[in-house]
Amino acid sequence: MFIGFFYKLKEAGIPVSPTSFLTLHKALSRGLVSSLDDFYTASRAVLVKSERYFDLFDQVFAHHFEGAEMPDYEGVELDELARSLLDSWLKDPKTLAAALGLTESEIAKMTPDELIEYFKERLKEQKERHDGGSRWIGTGGTSPVGHSGNHPGGMRVGGASRNRSAVKVAMERRYRDYSLDGPLTQAMVGEALKRLRNMIPAGPKDRVNVDKTIYQTMKNAGEIEIVFDRILKDRLKVVIAIDNGGWSMDPYVHVVQTLFDYARAQFKDLKTYFFHNTVYGTLWQDPSRYKKPQKIDDFARFDPETRLVLVGDASMAPYELMATDGSIHIEERSGKPSIECLKFLARNFRHSVWLNPMQSNMWGYTQSISAIGRIFPMFELSIDGLEKAVAHLMAK
Amino acid sequence: MTSEKKSFSGAKRYVLDDELAKIINISMALEMPLLLKGEPGTGKTMLAHAIAENLSMPLIVLNVKSSMKLIDALYQYDTLTRLNDSRFGDSKRDVSNIEDYIKMGKIGQAFTAGERTILLIDEIDKADTDFQDDMLDVLDQMEFDIIEIDKTIKAKNRPVIIITSNAKKDLSDPFLGRCNFHHIAFPDPKMMRRIIRVHFPDIDSELMESAVNVFYKLRDLDGIEKRPATRELVNWLRALKSDPDFKVKDFGKGDIPYLGVLFKKSQDYERTVNTVSRKRLI
Repeated sequence: MFIGFFYKLKEAGIPVSPTSFLTLHKALSRGLVSSLDDFYTASRAVLVKSERYFDLFDQVFAHHFEGAEMPDYEGVELDELARSLLDSWLKDPKTLAAALGLTESEIAKMTPDELIEYFKERLKEQKERHDGGSRWIGTGGTSPVGHSGNHPGGMRVGGASRNRSAVKVAMERRYRDYSLDGPLTQAMVGEALKRLRNMIPAGPKDRVNVDKTIYQTMKNAGEIEIVFDRILKDRLKVVIAIDNGGWSMDPYVHVVQTLFDYARAQFKDLKTYFFHNTVYGTLWQDPSRYKKPQKIDDFARFDPETRLVLVGDASMAPYELMATDGSIHIEERSGKPSIECLKFLARNFRHSVWLNPMQSNMWGYTQSISAIGRIFPMFELSIDGLEKAVAHLMAK
Repeated sequence: MTSEKKSFSGAKRYVLDDELAKIINISMALEMPLLLKGEPGTGKTMLAHAIAENLSMPLIVLNVKSSMKLIDALYQYDTLTRLNDSRFGDSKRDVSNIEDYIKMGKIGQAFTAGERTILLIDEIDKADTDFQDDMLDVLDQMEFDIIEIDKTIKAKNRPVIIITSNAKKDLSDPFLGRCNFHHIAFPDPKMMRRIIRVHFPDIDSELMESAVNVFYKLRDLDGIEKRPATRELVNWLRALKSDPDFKVKDFGKGDIPYLGVLFKKSQDYERTVNTVSRKRLI
């Protein structure tokens, strides 16, 4: 029963396990499910283990049981270039319309596929990616175009979930959070990072030191004397800043994911920030880089013993690094060239490294890499490079 | 399971939506732990209290701490007392009987209790992954060994297990595989009004309407680090009600008293005060 439904969930990318499917059948056979509504709740609670997949589940459920149109997964398969364009443009319908030479109302009538085709055509003519021009910048506060309204997306059955159409799903990729599970090389990264630990005694003296207690008690000729110690705790603070913008980083998503996954599971006191290409006045706490900015001046207040790890390909046009207003994002204007910001960070944190996912023999060809390499010790984001980076971070 | 089928439909102080009630009943029937996620203040912990109250079953709360080891939750072998007793010998305990020095932890208590209990494992995400996986093994088998006395403790009654997690990150796959899952979304205004009615049965509806309106507007302000949750709203209403000088009309004048009850971080507080006075947003 419902085997088709089960496989549809699997195809849609929800990690469903056969065990949980059997559990669902157990629930069915006990007569716990008496209506479609019940089945909706029961199957979701048993099969889906993360709220990230709730929306997808709703769509598949609606499709399977109500015949609603399946969302367009092709939207997700957009190539990176087109998607980035889509992202920038959807923020500002007027620019979008102007750029495509259409009126806004015409755009509202188009399906996502048609839109994407337009993007791709437009892309071929597109030359001014790095001109720093302001029309690449979304207006930030405005919501995405009303376009999504015309795409059926998926019917909702009960529950107060957020409806998302394929366009928005595609857009979701912009918020490329490296938090999804990475490939299975975590153990390797783990081995390399294991030495990045700093155990020091902390907290109240509440652990019995058995050896010392026995020794003291013997010394007192049997008069019990209990010796307490503080417990050992990993007090190492780590700040990771990840370049998650731009197309140049895309080939390295997997390896960065792995690093990120491991770091998050391992360090108690880990702060993650995001940036695009290089650091201007701000680092961002959210992967989409507009909700939670943190001025780098604030980092002066951090413990100088904090280990700072920057991850990025450090590849950009020289002026992005050197010019006072080098950022390709118009809202990032700190009045200081990025290179000064990087130097500021390097001065603040004695222990810092830059991990570069590019192979080190390619570094010489890019000017900005050598410039940044003079500020931060740069290591390859490979197992070898990590080992060296860790050794550097732990050096006195 | 108990002979007469107990099922859960809500409690005095807790407003439950149908969906969640169904999930709880299914989890109880399947004897699987229920994992609850949701942002702070959506009533994850309250739910367990409500179930306990509703089914009149004893509630055992295991507050997970980051330094916690699985054994702490199971039992504790009190070596120090034993050492002390062996030295001074002035207690009624039998020093040669180690079992006298075994104290049950929260999971142990739930297993050895005379009746079916509700075991709330609160904020599991605080502990490391090993703890989580090991604990699920114990909860799956419904038994654990006390190594010191080579004795196996089996659960007399299978407890109803509720696990809460605040974390954005997912728990490990083997862990998730053994739980049912529900995500509690932040209540919508309609639900919120019902919740308020539960807490303040005699509340003036004009006050409630405007307070809820203001509350959701404030929640939507940009750049707030810790957004106020249900708990804050209830406390805020309590503050408003107890202030004899406060009138509902004051909201219209852009004057919102006791913002400190809603916003606990000084940056959030300042930001809100600024926005409210500048924009006259309400």
